[in-house]
Amino acid sequence: MADRLLYWKGCMSRLKVKGIADSTMELLDLMGIRYDTLGGDEGCCGSILLRTGYPEEAKKLVRLNISQIGDAGYTKMVTSCPGCYRTFASEYPKMIAADLPFNVQHISQLLSENLGALRNKLKPLKMDVVYHDPCHLGRHMGIYEEPRRLIKAIPGIRLAEFRQNRSLALCCGSGGGVRSALPDVSTAVAKSIIDGPLGPLGVRAIITACPFCYYNFNTAGGVEVIDLPQLLLRSCKGERSNG
Amino acid sequence: MDEWLNKKDLEFREWMLDERRRLGIDRAVKAYVSAKETALQKMPELEEMRKEVRLIKEESIRKMPELAKAAMDAIIDLKGMAYLAKDAESAQEIFKEVVGRGKLVVKSKSLTSEEICLNEALEEAGNTVYETDLGEFIIQLRKEKPSHIINPSVHVPREEVAKTFSQLLKREVRPDINGLVSVAREFLREKFCTADVGITGANVVAAKTGTIFIIENEGNARFVSNAPPIHIAITGMEKVVPTLSDAFKVVQVLPPYATGVLMAAYVSLITGPSKTADIEKTIVYGAHGPKELHLVLLDNGRTEMAKSPDFREALYCLRCGGCMYECPVYRILGGSFGNNYFGGIGIIWSYFTRGPEGVAAAINACTKCRRCKAVCPLEIDVPKMVETLKSRLVRDGYSHPRHREIMESIAKNKNPFGLER
Repeated sequence: MADRLLYWKGCMSRLKVKGIADSTMELLDLMGIRYDTLGGDEGCCGSILLRTGYPEEAKKLVRLNISQIGDAGYTKMVTSCPGCYRTFASEYPKMIAADLPFNVQHISQLLSENLGALRNKLKPLKMDVVYHDPCHLGRHMGIYEEPRRLIKAIPGIRLAEFRQNRSLALCCGSGGGVRSALPDVSTAVAKSIIDGPLGPLGVRAIITACPFCYYNFNTAGGVEVIDLPQLLLRSCKGERSNG
Repeated sequence: MDEWLNKKDLEFREWMLDERRRLGIDRAVKAYVSAKETALQKMPELEEMRKEVRLIKEESIRKMPELAKAAMDAIIDLKGMAYLAKDAESAQEIFKEVVGRGKLVVKSKSLTSEEICLNEALEEAGNTVYETDLGEFIIQLRKEKPSHIINPSVHVPREEVAKTFSQLLKREVRPDINGLVSVAREFLREKFCTADVGITGANVVAAKTGTIFIIENEGNARFVSNAPPIHIAITGMEKVVPTLSDAFKVVQVLPPYATGVLMAAYVSLITGPSKTADIEKTIVYGAHGPKELHLVLLDNGRTEMAKSPDFREALYCLRCGGCMYECPVYRILGGSFGNNYFGGIGIIWSYFTRGPEGVAAAINACTKCRRCKAVCPLEIDVPKMVETLKSRLVRDGYSHPRHREIMESIAKNKNPFGLER
């Protein structure tokens, strides 16, 4: 039986930064990857509940989500949000003390696996960028190379690195419920990266692979922020960067 | 808004708006990060040693009560005095008893003494207390609280130090760092020699021999522990390790992670009070060093931590303070991110040693990014403990109103933003 793929948008891409979900779907379509979404029936992964002190409330969602996705016959699931990815892939199995009935990937993993189908569609993009490792994707799940591999696949792009990257990457400041409880602190942390280690790199844009990082860096301002699928789509469309 | 939240919010705001403090921290972070990088490159052997130290700490915390008792017995055998203080108040009582009234006290840096509000207690009893670590001296004069466990005055830039010293000496002191250090040196020298009591912390204690290790760079702890006739050392009971060789491993790991040096300038090993038998082989205590040595081991929540599978790991902390410099939020919030102990690990420590009120709001500033775990020489899983503590605090009524709204919105609307389904 063929794999059935679910694209789990996650609350941020579904409701706050819809451009990330739209670009992701457009990119998947362009690559000929078939997927479904849950539309209005998509729920909450529970990550934010786990971070803000409501593990019991999160547990209620876990069973619900697993049966909703599993019963619908999906064998694979891909997320835009590293928070959803970590929660599904690493925390759900611990919470139910069993493997999930479906495989979970972050979008950067799925795209990287399908780089063959993507590569010939990528058109040159003359841009100097830096990749920001999202905490949930990098330090928490060990996914450091897939996003870099995808960025480097774009002809003409130059990928710079923060002095402290991968396992030592700085947090953008929006994780763990800080953005909701202390928005000024979140923004100040993002701003300290933009005003600090970003400056000497002389890049035009920060590439993220996380809607929370995307949102938070944008709030801090002063630099173009592009989510990974957005960047790849831009390259596919041969759009010149707006600058 | 709840009082405990309101108070912390104001404190956060005050730190965020204070450009001078931010400047001080920024300078310190830059200097620390590059010094540590160099030190770790030069000492690849630390990779193995920090793993050994982790095992030593795991064993030590498993045997914490026995090791504390062994260390105390060893010191008493050496004609020193040793105490186990169950909480801050009983520790204060021990100090007041030993120090007495109207005494001149010199201190070297000890966050454990801050934990029990020792200076306030001694001053209330009519004693004069001088902090002699330069950073502590500065903030004592400024009537502030420490903002970092290794560099307590990290938030005070040189210009501010100059103002403080100008007030102390009632003459103009220039904001030249060398000159500022000389001011402290000259002012404190006389205090060391005339003090009645010297109080130090201890970075590690070897149980079998009863040896107290004090690690420092300034040389003030040597004066404090050696010049006055009475030396009292205070440290948490989690600092006791089985043997001297265990302690030496801790001593090797601590300095590079704490300040980016290969080795601290001074490590004092103190095993009992000063003594001589040079006249007729008769032992007399108090030759050139202190006649009396007292060790106060502090419990104050540590036994409870050791018993808890969720929080025991916090007791492995060597207090190098590296995670604070490496914490993206500490860089913004400095000394307001915690309560006596700072950063993520500080939240855990503050909770157990000072209760929930002081950390219930500060905990909301942790992004759980795990950078602290990545840079910790013992790889202590601080974010996991913070997450567990957060749910305990919420259970006990300390939930943040925004987080509560989000929880309710998710239950009702399946999204955190309060948007209708």
